[in-house]
Amino acid sequence: MARINPDFTTELKKYGVFDANACYNCGNCTAVCTLSDQENSFPRTMVRYSVLGLEEDIQMSLDPWLCYYCGECSSTCPREAEPGELMMSLRRWLTSKYDWTGLSGLLYKSLTASLTAFILLAVVILGFSALNDFNLEQLMHFGHYFEMIAIAGVMLIILLPNIFRMWRLSVYKAEGNIPIKVYAKALGELLVHMFTQKRTLGCDDSQLRWFEHLVLVFGYLTLLFTTVFLDWFSTGSQVIILLGYAESAVIFVITLLFMADRITRNKEVSKHSHPSDWLFVVWLFMMGLSAFVVRLFIDLQILDSNLWIYLIHLIILIQWALIIVPFGKWTHFLYRSFAMYFRKVKEA
Amino acid sequence: MNKKIGVYVCHCGGNISDYVDVEKVRTAIENDEGICLAKTTMFACADSNQKEMVDDILAQKLDGVVVASCSPMLHLITFRAVVERAGLNKYNYVHANIREQVSWAHSDNKAGATDKAIRIVKAAIAKVREAESLEPLKIKATKAVAVIGGGVAGLRAAIELAEAGSDVYLIEKEHFVGGRVSQWDTLCMTDETGKELVTRLYNELMKHRNITLYTGAEVVKHSGSVGNFKLELTLRPRYIRFNCTEEELQKAIDVCPVEVPDEFNFGITRRKAIYHNYPSEYPHLPAIDMNNCTRCGKCEKVCSHIDFSQKIKQVDLTVGSILLATGFDPYEPSEGEFGYGTIKNVVTLQQFKRIVHYCDNNLVYNGKKIENIAYIYCVGSRQLDGENKYCSRYCCTSNIYTAITVKKKYKTIHNYHFNRGIRTYGKQEVLYEESSKLGDIYLQSFEDDPPVVTYQDGKTMVKINDILTGHKSLEMVADLVVLVTGMVPRKDNATGELLKIPRGRDKFFNEIHMKLRPVETVIDGVTIAGASQGPKNIMESMNSALAAAAKSFSLINSGELALEPIVAKVDKQICEWCGKCEAACPYNAFSKLDVEGKTVAQVNKSICKGCGMCLPVCPVDAIELTAYSNKEIEHMIDALIPNP
Repeated sequence: MARINPDFTTELKKYGVFDANACYNCGNCTAVCTLSDQENSFPRTMVRYSVLGLEEDIQMSLDPWLCYYCGECSSTCPREAEPGELMMSLRRWLTSKYDWTGLSGLLYKSLTASLTAFILLAVVILGFSALNDFNLEQLMHFGHYFEMIAIAGVMLIILLPNIFRMWRLSVYKAEGNIPIKVYAKALGELLVHMFTQKRTLGCDDSQLRWFEHLVLVFGYLTLLFTTVFLDWFSTGSQVIILLGYAESAVIFVITLLFMADRITRNKEVSKHSHPSDWLFVVWLFMMGLSAFVVRLFIDLQILDSNLWIYLIHLIILIQWALIIVPFGKWTHFLYRSFAMYFRKVKEA
Repeated sequence: MNKKIGVYVCHCGGNISDYVDVEKVRTAIENDEGICLAKTTMFACADSNQKEMVDDILAQKLDGVVVASCSPMLHLITFRAVVERAGLNKYNYVHANIREQVSWAHSDNKAGATDKAIRIVKAAIAKVREAESLEPLKIKATKAVAVIGGGVAGLRAAIELAEAGSDVYLIEKEHFVGGRVSQWDTLCMTDETGKELVTRLYNELMKHRNITLYTGAEVVKHSGSVGNFKLELTLRPRYIRFNCTEEELQKAIDVCPVEVPDEFNFGITRRKAIYHNYPSEYPHLPAIDMNNCTRCGKCEKVCSHIDFSQKIKQVDLTVGSILLATGFDPYEPSEGEFGYGTIKNVVTLQQFKRIVHYCDNNLVYNGKKIENIAYIYCVGSRQLDGENKYCSRYCCTSNIYTAITVKKKYKTIHNYHFNRGIRTYGKQEVLYEESSKLGDIYLQSFEDDPPVVTYQDGKTMVKINDILTGHKSLEMVADLVVLVTGMVPRKDNATGELLKIPRGRDKFFNEIHMKLRPVETVIDGVTIAGASQGPKNIMESMNSALAAAAKSFSLINSGELALEPIVAKVDKQICEWCGKCEAACPYNAFSKLDVEGKTVAQVNKSICKGCGMCLPVCPVDAIELTAYSNKEIEHMIDALIPNP
């Protein structure tokens, strides 16, 4: 017996949703959704659970992660209840539920908190730089090692425990014990979806979205590899240098396109922008651009006289690594892949 | 005198002629006595044939016509009109049905069908030979209408009739007009209060000198028929004289020691034996409820206008038509139905509306602040096992409007609608959307799995297997449970019984035809309006009130009524009153008459419908039916069964 909680939609509104209550249960949204199937039927069920405030049922479900937001449901909703945006908001809400630190929820719900965190980090980095007398070499050295440590640290301290929490809510609580064999057998699903996001192809809108997204993910991951392990900023290899240029260019060009979509709101998926959406795309853009410019300044041998550009890059990098990656929209990359994996496990 | 008769045998395309040899029928009768003309025709009802018939009748100076074609239900009136256009009396036309009764019924036996068709046509010819010209019965009609019921439907109808020029007697059982509508606060879509509507109607009513309003009035006897109904009313006095001041009255109310549940507030408050429903009601004068008054005399001491010497009065009225607008009762849930009567915070929608009326800043019931309200729909309507199979129509709309009002008025309200499908039909649909957008929660179940209301550990719980959430079991804690109760027919059907108004399966007054004659009853001259006929919202009640007023008025407008002349006649010489005809008559058209010391039966022509039920029961054969005389019927039988 589940208890109805009418206040839940008020809470959910802070995560972006605005008119789920208008729903009159016609089911159009589920009918038009090309990803919804017998086992994972959405978004109507999720709209209903949200209106009724059945938090536990939502937490036990993977459905919000199985939606790749083509927006077809929102454009056909006769009540303009925006089911697509509700699914997006549920992903934000779930992220905050998975996050053991509680910071995700705080940052999603409050733009002020997000901005404060960004400013605070910037001040700390500037202070740290001042302590090092703004020595470029030292700062670049620090920046390089920070990347490695941050990746490992964020992964171990924040993301892994959060994925464990996601598993406990959506798999263990819902299905109980499942043999290890099943987990091992389904592991391929995790890797396939993590690196292809091929599920997006099931959406009815343009396949270009999937392609842009795929190129962006590869650009991002390879740039990470190029800077961390191939030491892009210090290398003498022409191949690696060119590779880095290409990768960072891919990042800022594609994010520029994404930002243009969000400004013109020309697609259902880009109609509603939560602050977290903007922070994600803007920071990724600035990361790509600033990395590109830093390497350009190195090649033009003018970085020494323009230390500020490296400082900006460092600030953006650290804000990205410590705020957006562990607590922001970046986590969708992980949760979506794991959701596909867990679904396979649950179905087996 | 031998009549000159014309006969037309119709092919009906092939509907008849495919099975009946119409030419053979024609030749079989063309030489019969009196037949001047016998024709076949492809379509007797076609305009060209109708014109030809008129020409034939005029040219041949015919004085009797038979068309053998389809059912008289379809074209009797058509051909009666044809002969009238040719100057004949319409009763000199006889219709023979050789389609439904012959060609369609005997498509397997063409020879037999043709033989049967010949006999039927011959029978019709036999009848037309004996047919007499008849004129409609004219009776004088009193240009006055009694409107029974002073709710909004009755008020509206009375005003309409008065404006049209009829005298109107508006008869209200209670001491105040306005009925149920005066009990409601703001109403959906216009946001006017019920009191405002009643005030507008009452002020309008008062402008008309040809309306007489009787309050505390009941019809106790009735006789007569359409055009001339005689009604006897009893008027209960108020026991208070009209020129009483507010101040003195308040004193009288204050000292009255009797307290009874206030029906105006559906029992959620109490009132004194001297009472008025609300301060500005109509007419502006309280009344003493003598069923509860103990005659202690305290009021007389503080108010000089109390007058216990007032007596029940009797009034006799003669009216041409009666308009019934006696309204409805809200459904009273049975003990324990969704916790009604057993759990104290379970109320009906009607009670809830009165609670909301009395709560200004906070919604409080039984001393407890109300925040979570569960509404259970279709209580007493659309019953699976009970008698009320119908939908009460108004409740979804009314309830959702009330829920919105409550949410806006008190801010901290959560509404939970446990429904069986929402029917805020028509222009009211926007209310449903508004309520959902305000965050109201809708839960749905089918009639075989209704929500369950329980009381445990000081909490009232409502549980449902919600079909909108895959039959998931859901529950909530309700501060108040509102049973959205529908409309039922008036418990007190005294007036309906007195006038013998038939009631339908749902026990509301029945119209003659749901679609085509929606405000008339089988009792000629009695029309019905408002929720006495079935669940209606206010707009629909107004529609029916205006329609019934127009219908009633059309009967009496000219001061004269034309009635069908086909009625029973009693031969006073033969009749020896035995009463069998009176017992057989479904319309109460018979009464006793003294003729020179002998008691005989007499037919009230304005009541008689010519059904013929009295004919076979008469032991001395004293009754004849106009246009269906023994002679006519016997000749028809002879024609049907020739040479036994």
